[in-house]
Amino acid sequence: MPISPEPSPTEDHSPPGQGLAIAAESLYLINLLLLPGLAFLLLLGLYGRYRRSAPPLGRLHLQQTLSASLWAGGLLVIVNLLIIALGGYDAASTWVIAILYFTTVHATLVLLGILGLARSLAGQTFRYPLVGNLLS
Amino acid sequence: MTQLPYKSQAVAKPYFMAAIALFVGQILFGLILGLQYVIGDFLFPAIPFNVARMVHTNLLIVWLLFGFMGAAYYLVPEETETELHSPLLAHVLFWVFLIAGVLTVVGYLAVPYATLAQMTGNDLLETMGREFLEQPLPTKVGIVVVALAFLYNIGMTILKGRKTAITMILLIGLIGLAVLFLFAFYNPSNLVKDKYFWWWVVHLWVEGVWELIMAAILGFVLLKVTGVDREVIEKWLYVIVTLALVTGIIGTGHHYYWIGAPAYWQWWGGIFSALEPLPFFAMTVFCFNMVNRRRRQHPNKAATLWALGTGVMAFLGAGVWGFLHTLAPINYYTHGSQITAAHGHLAFYGAYVMVVLTIISYAMPMLRGREVNPERAQVLEMWSFWLMTVSMVFITLFLTAAGILQVWLQRIIPNPQPFIEVQNQLVLFYWLRWLSGVVFLIGLVVYIYSFFAKDKPQTVEAGEVQPAMT
Repeated sequence: MPISPEPSPTEDHSPPGQGLAIAAESLYLINLLLLPGLAFLLLLGLYGRYRRSAPPLGRLHLQQTLSASLWAGGLLVIVNLLIIALGGYDAASTWVIAILYFTTVHATLVLLGILGLARSLAGQTFRYPLVGNLLS
Repeated sequence: MTQLPYKSQAVAKPYFMAAIALFVGQILFGLILGLQYVIGDFLFPAIPFNVARMVHTNLLIVWLLFGFMGAAYYLVPEETETELHSPLLAHVLFWVFLIAGVLTVVGYLAVPYATLAQMTGNDLLETMGREFLEQPLPTKVGIVVVALAFLYNIGMTILKGRKTAITMILLIGLIGLAVLFLFAFYNPSNLVKDKYFWWWVVHLWVEGVWELIMAAILGFVLLKVTGVDREVIEKWLYVIVTLALVTGIIGTGHHYYWIGAPAYWQWWGGIFSALEPLPFFAMTVFCFNMVNRRRRQHPNKAATLWALGTGVMAFLGAGVWGFLHTLAPINYYTHGSQITAAHGHLAFYGAYVMVVLTIISYAMPMLRGREVNPERAQVLEMWSFWLMTVSMVFITLFLTAAGILQVWLQRIIPNPQPFIEVQNQLVLFYWLRWLSGVVFLIGLVVYIYSFFAKDKPQTVEAGEVQPAMT
């Protein structure tokens, strides 16, 4: 099988909206990893300011990351509180479920963010599976 | 028949074959251990638990070293654009290392450990009896001799050829691996000092210099399968290596909590090891970014899958599962529990098993005289990827669940229960872990079978018109 050449999407210049796309994906990851809440507010601010004027690439990444962040809030905060409230603070099973749930869901959301960031760095679009369709 | 770019790259083939054979041994002993967790006297007294564990972990280390050496022998000639300094030396070292490794395992299984220590001159320089460094003195000396001769061979090749970031990072990693192993010979009678320096081998290998080797191998494979500019890959490698060393070296402190080392290590260890996921995070972004920006569609899809999988699983195993119990206030409760075992399994698999399988996947077809494996072999290999990876995720999840319950019953509730009573309550998770291990073995069998798979001949339907031969 021959090796077929393919042009690089970022060979000459960055596509319009790439900076915004990278910023959106970075804020999504910072919200999950470093500054929860604060990074989300910044992402919300970016979305409010650029949602109409941004080039399609930047707008899509903004929409996707904001939608995924909203889902993340629900999945990580609300569901965990429900697990603890329903299972009881003093039950071993509560902590087995809560810690496993939080770790796997949080890690999955971070991995999706890494995929999104890698796509934005390559100047490409990315749709978050399941959690990306809230605003589209 | 595809020719290797450099003839001497062929010496990598026996290293890769030995690595895979020893990998099978490691997994078989893992399954024996898994059963011993639930059927306490399984294979006792023929293979006691401590011996099976020693063989399981030692085989892991040895086959990964075979993999790293094979990787170096394959990629260094291509990177330096020159033949290997001495293919003969590489062949001799292969047999020395293999015979020493096999004899050591046979020694573990055939002779009681104390007798083995007596037989092999441990009283001359006491180095045995420490986790992962159980090897008899002659084996340890053999490892040093093999490592030095290997470094000489690789170093001379790099000196006479082109110098690239990939070979430099690989060489620094390999030198670090050899130098840090020397602490295996330092065994002070003070238990605190013993543990303190023991981690210089164990931690600074897997969370230090091995990450450099891993980055170099990943960089090489991604360079080949994506065709992205070398400068781009090199910049990423510099970032990854810096992050790995800055976080990993002082991050050693997360092993110094409450062992008798100064209390400031709880801060230093906590802060720096909390940053240790960063190089793995960067590695994952690096892998996906390179594949997204690829300039060519390389026909070896399996190698690309292994490379992407390495980034993801290393981030999960070493990064996420490491962070889970790395902070001192959490480690106070979780130390030495099944949570550590969960982290160990996923981290070793994600970071080092997968990176060795990545280079084998890329190099082995060419070492066998073809550019890539046939389609069916690749499909089987990708099946093995998913079987092994998904089952390892489940092994990790079941061990994590066991660990959380263990910590709760043994260390958190008002009337903590004794260790062995708690173990009895974890049996369900241990059975589930063992079943996941069986699936892992099936994945490994599929992986090995993929080396022998050929494309099925195309069948011709009756009445179908065949194109004329020209």
